[in-house]
Formats: sequence, structure tokens, C-alpha cells
Amino acid sequence: MRILVIEDDAATADYIAKGLREAGHVVQLARTGKEGMMLAAGESWDVIVTDRMLPGPDGLTILRALRASGISTPVLVLTALGEVERRVEGLDAGADDYLAKPFAFSELRARIDALGRRPAVSQDPVMLRVGDIEMDLLRRVVRRAGQPVELLPTEMRLLEYMLRRPGQVLTKTMLLEGVWDLNFDPSTNLVEVHVSRLRRKLAQEGQPGPIQTVRGAGYILGERG
Amino acid sequence: MSFLPRLLRSFALRTALLTAAAVLGISALGLGFGWLRSSAALQDALDAEIRQQADELLREWRFGGAAALMLSVELRTRERAPGVLLVQLRAPSGAVFAGAAPLAAAPAGLQGFATVATTDAEGPLRALGIALPDGFRLIVAARMRLVLDTAQTLASTLLAAGGLAVLLALVFGLLTAWRLEGRLRAVSGAAEAVMQGDMARRLPLSGAADEFDRLAGTVNALLARLEAVLEGMKQVTVDVAHDLRGPLSRLRQRLESALAQPRDAAADAALLEAALEELDTVLATFAALLRIAQLEAGPALASGQAPVVNLSATVATLAEAYQVAAEEAGRTLAAEVAPDQRVHGDQALLRQMLSNLLDNALAHGGEHVSVTLRPGPVLEVADDGPGIPAEERPRVLRRFYRLDRSRGTPGSGLGLALVAAVARLHGAVPVLSDAEPGLRVTVDLSGARAS
Repeated sequence: MRILVIEDDAATADYIAKGLREAGHVVQLARTGKEGMMLAAGESWDVIVTDRMLPGPDGLTILRALRASGISTPVLVLTALGEVERRVEGLDAGADDYLAKPFAFSELRARIDALGRRPAVSQDPVMLRVGDIEMDLLRRVVRRAGQPVELLPTEMRLLEYMLRRPGQVLTKTMLLEGVWDLNFDPSTNLVEVHVSRLRRKLAQEGQPGPIQTVRGAGYILGERG
Repeated sequence: MSFLPRLLRSFALRTALLTAAAVLGISALGLGFGWLRSSAALQDALDAEIRQQADELLREWRFGGAAALMLSVELRTRERAPGVLLVQLRAPSGAVFAGAAPLAAAPAGLQGFATVATTDAEGPLRALGIALPDGFRLIVAARMRLVLDTAQTLASTLLAAGGLAVLLALVFGLLTAWRLEGRLRAVSGAAEAVMQGDMARRLPLSGAADEFDRLAGTVNALLARLEAVLEGMKQVTVDVAHDLRGPLSRLRQRLESALAQPRDAAADAALLEAALEELDTVLATFAALLRIAQLEAGPALASGQAPVVNLSATVATLAEAYQVAAEEAGRTLAAEVAPDQRVHGDQALLRQMLSNLLDNALAHGGEHVSVTLRPGPVLEVADDGPGIPAEERPRVLRRFYRLDRSRGTPGSGLGLALVAAVARLHGAVPVLSDAEPGLRVTVDLSGARAS
């Protein structure tokens, strides 16, 4: 993917660029808000990552300017620790995702991957299918290899979230945000518990489990793409 | 600065001087008018007496003619104490026919009342001239000294009274200025002491419950809030130093001793992973601290301004997620949620508050945890664990406060502090009570209720 990273802190910018390049992406760095704004508007990108606080126009200003000029490139806003309360503000300004610094690189990577794959127009099919798992969204019925699987509403939401993002690494915080709308990590291991429940319910004799654990990163449903 | 120059510049003194000037002006007007009225009244009385005498003399003229009048005038002039009432009869030629000498200065054709100067030292006369037939003219006059003296006495009395009033106004003003200055000096002295760092200092109250006391009370409340905020900040600094130093020094030791070992890929990887985990804990603690500090420093959400949050749905969803976690841990979580409970508030923070309460109940409680949302709405989370002794309860809402028995278990000691901060934001205070056995935390959110 072609990724624009707008970040004024040299160490952080280099760290992000290096990691993303190693993952096979093309990365362009911008060190000021002005430079970032020109690059963001002037070229075509798959994903834009921008710091919130920047010299010159800040991240949210760039974001608003892009959205106002009809550019819908997915944007991930990075924010300093403790600015969590501003999350809503960022999302309101048109950010597609929000990540607080410092972050694990695997978290950033997973979120960028998810943004890059986001379909341009979200089509809402009635049936979600990954491998031999299928979910009927209207009747809220789940089957694995034709066998019905009984799920609680919260497990249903978790599976739906995963089915909509097949082959992507889903981190714990992405699941907490996406499934339970929690933008913090509670000390109770909600994600682990629910994933393991879901795994048990989806398990079938002689078949490999559909949900894989990606060490140090998260979970993945279906073949990694 | 010494007292006098400061006093001279004082608002109170200026007010006193203005008051004195106003008193002076009003006195001058009032007294002047009074003096004029009194003088006029005195003169009217004198004129009436002169007129009465003149009428008597005119009767003599009518009965006895010029000769009788002349005789009567002569008689009166001699009998009467000179200087009180003077009578003169003038011939048509203007020559004095009979009567007192001091009236010589009266004009020849005097008709009606007039004030006439005299040749002697007794002062002016009040004279009435009446024309008689055949060209004769009768002049009746009286000394004005009595009138003038009375007016003079009256004027000096009035002036003295006015002066006294002005003097009183000045003295009273100075006294007020002095008292005002004293009270304001006490206030600014206390404010300076606070500026110097004595945050416990408060403005003195006189006990009179007057406007000064009310102002001082308001300022004292402000100072108390300021002191609490500063105390909180100081506490955070101390807490951060105390509670982050532990994990950070452990991390440092771990990295240092690993560096001293020969390089081994597998061991290094394991060590770095453990180090990252430790660092993440520190960062999480740090984030929680910042969040609490932000919440505590900010104002409470204005009632009715914040968006409406469906608390029933929020609690139900979260309770369901935690039910699964509780079951996996071999515990039970019962949820009882009244429908359609709404509050004005911050949904993300309310979710975190409930999540912290449930985390806490699952970490420290017993077999059974219950979450209840009653109409009000009142949120309640209870467990059947060992609970918290009554004397410890107020302290567990503070940052980093941990019961001795939970020191070994994971947790930052910030969970309930954040609960308290979020509750405060919504105008509530978490109440800890005995669930017999166990701990019950009640948050009454009815203050943020949305219809």
C-alpha cells in the first residue's frame, strides 16, 4: 500500500516508516502539517497516518480540509498519551481510526491493514461467509459446515466483526472498540474469554479451529490475506 | 506604605468627604432658607406693631385734630423709652412739627413702610409714613436692632449646627474609612499569605454575616477548592514518583542484568517481551492517572448539556460481556437492569466506570457478583468477597490506595479513583457499603437523569 505518514517527531516517524516498509508498504514521510497537507491533497494514498499535534496546521485541520475537498482516503490519527478524551473529537473530524501513543507496532500495522482493506462502499450482504462458517444477518443464525451453532448476542457480535474482516489481524483493542465500544483495556480479560468461548462453540471434531492467534498481535479469522 | 497616605487615597475617605460636602451644601441651603423665613417673620411682627401704634395715633387725629395728635406724639416721645418706638409729625413744609430727633433722616415724602438709616449709633429704623389731610405727615418708626440681633443670633446658631453636622459627617466618614481599610487590609493580607504559599490560610470573618463576610466566605470557598486541586496535583506527583518508580526500577534492573549476560536469541526475546509487558503496565497506569487528573481538574458536566446516554443498554451490554468472563472464572454474575434509564453524560466514561467496578468485583470479590440498575437511575455493583472494613472505605477511592491484602494481586490501585472521578463528573459520589458479606458500591446518578 502507499502510505503517507505525517509526524513531526523524527524518531517516531522513522520507527513507523521502517516498520511499514519492512511490512512491504511504500511510505512517504511528511514532517510538518503544511508538507503533509500538500502531499495528502496532491497525491493518491491508500492510507494516511497523521499525528494530531503538528507544527503548522495540525492533524485535525488537515483531516477536515481533506474531507471538505471530498478526499475520502482512510485516515488514522495518532494522539499523545492522555489525550484519550479527544478521541470523539478526532472521529467527528472525519478520522477513520484513532490510536494513542505510545502504541505497539503490531497494533498500528493491524489498524493500517484494516483501513487499507476497507471497501470503498460498504455493502451489507444478508449472508456473511468465511470458509465453512456462515452467518445469516437477518435471522441471526450461524452455521459451521451446515451445523447450527448457538451463540449469545455478544458472541454473535464478535463473530460478525471477525467475519466482516476475514484474513486480517484483529488486535485486542480493535475488538474491544469494535465489539464492545470500549476504548480502554479492562483488567478483566474480556477478549480472551470471548474468543476462547467462540472457538469452543465453533470447534468441530477433526477440523482445525477457524480463529488463529497471532502471537503478540491478536487474532485472525480465515486464511491470512 | 503608612496608614495616612493610604487612608487619604481610600475610597471610603473619598466617600466620607463627599458625604460631608453634601451635608454642608444641604445645610447651607436649608439654614439659609430658614434664616430668610425667620427674618421675614420677625420684620412682619415689627411692622404689625408699628401699624398698631399708627392706628392709635390716627384715632387721636380723628377725634382731636392736629393739636391732639401733636400732643400725643410729644407725650409718647417723652414717655416711651427712647429707641423702642419713635413718632414724628411733620408739617406740610417738611419741618418737624413734633417728635423724636433720630427720625430726621426719614425722607420727606415717606409713604408706607421703609427701612431708614439714622444719625445715631442705634442702627437703622423701620418706619411707616402716613399722609394726613392738609399736608401733614405722620411717621411711626421702631428700632430694628431687636430684629437684626435675633436674626444674627439665629444665623450663628444655624451656622454652628451646620458646622457640627459637617464635622460629624467627616468624623463618621473617617471612622468608616478606617474600619473599611482595616477589613480590606485583613483580606489582602490573607490573600498575600496565600500567594506566598500558605494555602491553608483563609480570610477572616467578622461574624456579622454582612456583605464582607459573604465575600470572604465565597473567596474562602474558592481557596478551599484551589487547595484541594493543588493538594490533588501534589498527591499525583508523589503517587507517580512512588508507584511508577517500583516497576521502572525493576525494568531497569532486568535490562541491565540481561545486558551483562552473553547474547542468546531465545533468552533475549523472552526478556524483551517481559520488559515490554512491564512497560505497558507502567504506560497504562500513566494513562489512567492522566485521565483521572483531567477528569478531576475539569468542571462537572453541566446538567442537561451533555448528550443523552441510554444507561440501561450500556449496563446490559457490558454486564453480558462480563457474565461470560465470570463464568469462565467459575463465578456467577447476576444482572438486573431496569429498562429505559437515561442520563446526560459521557457514555465512554460511564462504560469505563462500570467496567472498573466489575473488574474490581471480579478481582477482589467472592463467588457471586451482582450488578443492578435501579430506576433513578442508581447503579450498584456488589460482591460477596471479604469486603472493605468501614474505616478503610473512604480511602480506597483515592489514587493508588490498595488494601494490604490486595498488594500481591494485579491492578494499579486506580480503578476506584477513576470511578470516583467519573461519578463526580456526573454529579454523583460513589458510596461504599457492606453487602454482608462483601462490598457494595452504589452510584446514584439521579442528578444526571434525562427524561
